[in-house]
Formats: sequence, C-alpha cells, structure tokens
Amino acid sequence: MERVNWGLILPLLALQVLLAVIGLISLWKAENVRGPKWLWIIIIVAGNLLGSIAYFTVGRREI
Amino acid sequence: MRNTWIVYQKEMLETARTYKLIWIPVVFILLGAMQPIITYYMPEILQAANNVPQGILEGYVMPGAGTVMSQALGQYSTIGILVLVLVAMNSLSGERYNGSAELVLSKPVSPAGFVIAKWAGLFTILFLALGLGVASALYYTEQLIGSLPWMDVVAAAALYGIWLLCALSLTLLFSAFLRAPAAAFLSLLSSAGMALADSLMPSWFQWTPAALPGLSARLLSEGREAVGVNLSPCLSAALLILFCVAGASTLMGRNKLPK
Repeated sequence: MERVNWGLILPLLALQVLLAVIGLISLWKAENVRGPKWLWIIIIVAGNLLGSIAYFTVGRREI
Repeated sequence: MRNTWIVYQKEMLETARTYKLIWIPVVFILLGAMQPIITYYMPEILQAANNVPQGILEGYVMPGAGTVMSQALGQYSTIGILVLVLVAMNSLSGERYNGSAELVLSKPVSPAGFVIAKWAGLFTILFLALGLGVASALYYTEQLIGSLPWMDVVAAAALYGIWLLCALSLTLLFSAFLRAPAAAFLSLLSSAGMALADSLMPSWFQWTPAALPGLSARLLSEGREAVGVNLSPCLSAALLILFCVAGASTLMGRNKLPK
C-alpha cells in the first residue's frame, strides 16, 4: 500500500463526503420522500456514490 | 424569445435549489476519476484481495492513456446516461401533472419556447457535468498513466456529449406525453436498442447517433488521423434532437394537462 499516493485520492474522498452531506441536507429539508427517511439516511451513508445517486434520482419526490 | 429566457432562468433556479447543479457534476467528476485510479492501482487492489494466483500480478500490463480515457468516458454511457435520464424524466411530465404547464402556457409563452427552455436547462446541466467530469478524468489520467493530446480529448468528449444529448432529448420528447417513469424507461430502452443495433451490425448503423461513443473511443485510442472526418452520426444526431424538440413542442401545445 506504500505506493498509493493519498494526496491524489483525498480530493475525491472529500467530494464523496460532500455528495453524502448534500444528500443528507436535502433529505432533512424534504417534505415528500418515497419510503421512510431513516432508510434513506442508511442508504446515503452506507451506499457511497450509488446510495447518493439512488436518493437523488428515486428518493426525492419532485411534485 | 424573452419569455423563453425567463423560463430558462426559472429552470436554472430550480435546478440549483434541488441541488442538481451540484450533485450531478460531482457524480460525473467521481465517475471520470475512478477509471484511471482503478487501472493504476489494480495490482494493489488485487493484492489486497489476497487470493490472487502468483502469475497474474507479474503479467499485468498498464493500458495506454488513450484506452483508459475511453474507458472513463464509457462510464458515462452506462451510469451517466442513467443519471441524466432519471433527472430529465420529470422535466415536462412533472409540469403537466402538477398543472404548472397549463398555468405557464396560458401566459404569453409558446409551447415551443417552453420546451426549448427546458431543453436548454438540461443542456446546461449536461455541459457542466461532462466538462468537469472529463477534466477530472483527464487530470487523473495525465497524473497516473500518461499524457494525451488535448484536442483529441476535447473532440472525443464532444462526440460523447452529443450522444448523451440525444438520450436527454428523447427523454424530453417522451415526457411530453407519458408519466415520468414510463418516459425514462422508453428513452433508456431506445438508446440501449440503438447502441445494441450499432454493436451487432456496425456497418449498417454507423451513420446513427449510437455510433458516436465508438467513434469517440477510436479517436482516443488511434488518434485523429485514423478516424478521419465522419460527420454523418453528428448530422443524424442533430436531426434526432431537432425532431425531439419539435415533437415535444407540438405535444405540449396539444395536451397541457394529462388526459
């Protein structure tokens, strides 16, 4: 693992965290969500990139 | 024209408020960066998996920068297209089903102006997301694997962008007369169908928009001279986009509300 250059990967981890945080803020404010909110919290936090994508595309009800 | 501009501004405001302007580009940046990183650290990843037979690690050859870049762009034709279509599926059908389309169109906004504003909003999202995503893929490819001619990357990204724009325009057309999930399903199905037809019989379908991703991959791996100038897929893509926007305008003029 010593070959891994963390300076290169760190910005991506930061972006990943940013994505999850935006998802959680949006979930906090949302009035209309498909399914229970606690389930989406688990999906966003545990599901990394795909979990956040799932919340933003399927979880939010726009109308 | 002015009304179209106002609807477009309102559209971008909504895009920003629903965080789409942030999360879609972030997803594209992560998707673009993932491919070069996974390719570069493949030996470490296999080693960490701990149950790899000895010979495999020694036989691992790092693919060239062009190949990695075209694989990175390939991510956008699977997850990228899915994300974009799911975002676009609500664009017209949402406005029809909650009644705001009727409200807006009873003002001096023409159906065509309304649809064009929606299309421009989707185009803006795509442009921003693909631009940033390709920039991050290029940055990580240059850092880890090798340098690439910039003009080729820009051209390849543009070809990919046109293909994604076709999928978005199809979604817009379908969402003018269907509910959002049906529109998303149909547009994913038709773009997958076109891509399948192109991969099964390339010589028959090389003029269709579905040939664009393949063209972009060849441009990256073989260079501009090998590909030459091939305008027919771009031309047919432009016609498809025009048809979708015109069709969606006609349909929106006819049924502002769902039947």
